[in-house]
Amino acid sequence: MRNLFEQPLGWPGLFGLLGLGVLMLVIVLVFVVFAIYFERKVIGYMQFRPGPNRTGPFGLLQTTADVLKLLIKEDIIPKKADRALYILAPAIMYVPAFTVIAVLPYTSRLYLADLNVGVLYYGALTSISTLGVILGGWASNNKYSLLGGMRSAAQLISYEVPLILSMVGVVMMSGSLNMRVIVEGQSGGFWHWNIFPQIIAFGVFIIAAVSELSRSPFDLPESESELVAGYHTEYTGFRFAFFMLAEYVYVYAIAALTTVLFLGGWHAPLPALSFIPEIVWFLLKFSGVVFFLFWLRATMPRIRIDQLMSLAWKYLLPIALINIFLTALVKELW
Amino acid sequence: MIGLAKGLGVTLKAFASKKVTYKYPDEPLEMPDRFRGVQHFDPDKCIVCNQCARICPTECITLTGKPNPDPEKKGKVIDTFDINFEICILCDLCTEVCPTEAIVMTNNFELATYSRDDLFKNMEWLNDNNTNIRSENSRNLSPIATKGGNS
Repeated sequence: MRNLFEQPLGWPGLFGLLGLGVLMLVIVLVFVVFAIYFERKVIGYMQFRPGPNRTGPFGLLQTTADVLKLLIKEDIIPKKADRALYILAPAIMYVPAFTVIAVLPYTSRLYLADLNVGVLYYGALTSISTLGVILGGWASNNKYSLLGGMRSAAQLISYEVPLILSMVGVVMMSGSLNMRVIVEGQSGGFWHWNIFPQIIAFGVFIIAAVSELSRSPFDLPESESELVAGYHTEYTGFRFAFFMLAEYVYVYAIAALTTVLFLGGWHAPLPALSFIPEIVWFLLKFSGVVFFLFWLRATMPRIRIDQLMSLAWKYLLPIALINIFLTALVKELW
Repeated sequence: MIGLAKGLGVTLKAFASKKVTYKYPDEPLEMPDRFRGVQHFDPDKCIVCNQCARICPTECITLTGKPNPDPEKKGKVIDTFDINFEICILCDLCTEVCPTEAIVMTNNFELATYSRDDLFKNMEWLNDNNTNIRSENSRNLSPIATKGGNS
């Protein structure tokens, strides 16, 4: 991977890069399709019912059928809606989701871009999606969408602060913003993984991450039963699919980020087990995080908007700051 | 905090437990014994008293009788017997008033067809509908009627 990027760019290099990009996109899209399927299955099983099991063998083609349905729907743009912003909002929402995939390392040799500021790049780009949410809410010319958009924007920006601050503790311990260096610092057994020294930061990170994804229990912006459908009320067909796509690509990115920052990336839990390929460990941990997100959605009721805000500013932010001070103190004294 | 963990435990346990969904079209649905399904008619027991047609609230039963072909026996024999299932409400009144249990109810309920004409069932169809008859009526089968058997 390094060789491919460090040679002068000729025609083979260009096509190699394009092919790699397309391959990455295909992998992410396949993940999205099966994540939606497995989410419905897992949540169904947790509710004493099988999930989708009729379309295709074991219901595997359910998401395909849903996407096909969304694609063939009529594209409605409300008459008084701000046309340019209305069309732009889903794009602003999902483009950063795809761009952050570039910095995620999967194994010690398999990574797309070895950015020295990987963590910062991630945090910066996820903030751009908030703009898409506000634009969608405003441009729909619908009071429910506006309320949903405003609430959603408040939620997203409030939880970005504890998210980034919780990552600072990990960065301080590893000494670098580079994701590969962070993972390398967790080699050895599972006792070296960042989750143990940084358990407080991990708690804050998980809560802030679930909230950033707008998933239950923090899914007030898209709470289907409370706010009609929040900021994507007026969106039909493929534009709606873009919003859903962005959410699931962020699930992919957050799960990969959790694995890299806190769970030891591609390292085996015991050094004796390191004959198993690194990608298998990465996928196992990644799947565990994704399953936990589904599990959380099946279990928790929705949190109210004022409870959500006070949680972020009054609890998560001070805890994240205390964690940073503690980490600094321990680093100095030890 | 503990409550949250307990909640997560509950859902995880539910994940591993048996599902409650009925697998209906793939597996038949077992109905309780006194379920009021589509009727079964036994022409040998019918004495053409016309009580079922009189009591039917939607007047969906039409029947005609003919004098007994055997000149020595008295009474009538059933000639035609039709139930219009577009309006039959499966209320069980006809089986309650029948003095000879000629018309009884079964546990079958699948009547859906693509054309309304198929819903006008005649005597032959009603006689052939002899599976899943209610157990209390299955014990009163006349010896001649056991040709089709009952389940």
